[in-house]
Amino acid sequence: MAYITLDGVSKQYGSVWAVDRVNMAIDKQEFVSLLGPSGSGKTTLLRIIAGLETPTQGRVLIDGEDVTHLPPHRRGVAMVFQEFLLFPHRTVYENLAFPLRMLKLQKGEIEARVDWVLGILALRGLEKRYPNQLSGGQQQRVALGRGLVGRPKVLLLDEPLANLDRELRQEMEVEIRRHQTALGIPFIYVTHNQEEALSMSDRIAVVRGGRIEDFASRTDVYDRPKTAFIAQFVGRSNRFEGIVALAGEGIAVRGEGVLIETGPREGIADAAQVAAYVKNEKVRLRPAEPGAGAAANALPATVKHVILRGAYAEYVMSWAGGELVASRPRREAEFKEGAEVVGFWEKGDVDLFPAPGEMP
Amino acid sequence: MRFRPGKIALLATVVASYLFLYLPILHIGLASFSRNSSFPYPPKWSLDIMTRLFSNSLYQTALGNSLIIGFFSAVLSTALAGAATIGLMRHAGRRAPLFLALFVAPLFVAEVLLGISSLIFNGLFLGLQGNLVSAILANVVHCFSYALLIIATQLYRYDWRLDDAAMVFGASPARTFFEVTLPLIWPGLLGAFIVTFIMAFNNLEISFYLLGATPTLPSAAWGALRYGVKPELYALATCVNLVVFLVLLVMFVLMMTRVVTFGHRPERERSAV
Repeated sequence: MAYITLDGVSKQYGSVWAVDRVNMAIDKQEFVSLLGPSGSGKTTLLRIIAGLETPTQGRVLIDGEDVTHLPPHRRGVAMVFQEFLLFPHRTVYENLAFPLRMLKLQKGEIEARVDWVLGILALRGLEKRYPNQLSGGQQQRVALGRGLVGRPKVLLLDEPLANLDRELRQEMEVEIRRHQTALGIPFIYVTHNQEEALSMSDRIAVVRGGRIEDFASRTDVYDRPKTAFIAQFVGRSNRFEGIVALAGEGIAVRGEGVLIETGPREGIADAAQVAAYVKNEKVRLRPAEPGAGAAANALPATVKHVILRGAYAEYVMSWAGGELVASRPRREAEFKEGAEVVGFWEKGDVDLFPAPGEMP
Repeated sequence: MRFRPGKIALLATVVASYLFLYLPILHIGLASFSRNSSFPYPPKWSLDIMTRLFSNSLYQTALGNSLIIGFFSAVLSTALAGAATIGLMRHAGRRAPLFLALFVAPLFVAEVLLGISSLIFNGLFLGLQGNLVSAILANVVHCFSYALLIIATQLYRYDWRLDDAAMVFGASPARTFFEVTLPLIWPGLLGAFIVTFIMAFNNLEISFYLLGATPTLPSAAWGALRYGVKPELYALATCVNLVVFLVLLVMFVLMMTRVVTFGHRPERERSAV
């Protein structure tokens, strides 16, 4: 029995369905991300779980109890907001003690728990400060601490790292995941940032247009995208268009100036218009060989830019049909700007989807 | 630089404006503290008129009544307007402009007409004879509209998602209001209280119709006119002005010391968002 269940949850604003028949089952120890572009309904879904919105249809169950019509303060959940929303007239200590006071705990118990949270979030010494006297990172930790201190049934996080700079964000990612594991409660994490979702989650629900496009383990979402939207949205990919020519076991896709071969796929018809995706890091490079003929899954190109990303180098290349990007480890042979190369990839690294009327 | 004509013109305009605003009040103040009250230039200082005013029991009763009307009208209209503003901002949705228009419409009704209508209505349907309660109720009508505008300008800056946060962390709606909302919006409520207090305290037209024989400061002054402008009226005007300016001074000091920030969010609120 899942710990949190969303059963056909929908939310209508005017004539728009912001959330559309969402079903999810989340286990007690799980870290789940709702990943989607802005306006996809992921925050509305989170607010429905929190009780800040009432679904137009469907049910929300937490720990076996139907909480669909329970107000937020009786659900035993907690939330970390993107804008932190610390109480500006309260000190750090008072902010952290707030959920405990609402639980009507004894004074000694409140002090012990706040002290525990100050400790695990390295906030000792800041108890008497007001939120405006804290840096962004410190405010974020207080917001997280306020979410953890009451030991909620579930912690909901609404883009909590969006207002932090990159380095701080990566530190916090590790920290958030560590607290989730330690507390053993489910975290539901809303983000539009695929790196955050991939780095922390057990499972990722990709949200698009109010619906769950796929809800699967993070490796499945990344390596085996279920839809063209996921292939486009998660990871960075090169996109090719072409016409299918079924050939024996596998599939050949003939595009303008490119021939792509993959293993057998279901649901791809002969002569269909398709889109093929190859992730940047799956594209490998070798020097061009003069006189070599055209081959499948290999694309002659010219290096235009080399972008260094620390351990990786990103090669932006141009070919007859547009742009090709390859992201390669630095230890591999390096190519200079202007070099003639061939970008190539394995059959198994191609994701294929029917193209017509699919992509926005 | 120093004698630029533009700057001089600006200064002159400012001085002229202040003189226009305050000369009559200064004149009355001067007159009420001098022996030759009808033309106090140069003034010969004396407390005669003030003594006469304070020995007149009619004015003492009137002051008491005015304070009662001012206080209770301000309490009622601030509480109602606060609730109305929160309702407008949180729950009215797209119909908010309509509700707002209906809430502030009483501002545009002549006070005399408001007085007459209230007199008839209160007498006919509420069974209220001319008395203080009736006058307070009538004053609340237009004070409410003013208070609503004042509170709305303050609450416009309030981040209602703080209420969401409080509720998610276990606070009931009532608890949320007293623990989070009220501590952050009280300067707006205080501003509305002060302004509506002064309005109801000074009001003649509405109170006049609803008070019957009960005197207030403005109605006593109005009544006294029948016997000509007596020196007591000078003293009375000065006292009322002093009370009003004292209230405004308190407000000003609170603002300067940043205990209260009317129209601005305190620093620590702004940076938290």
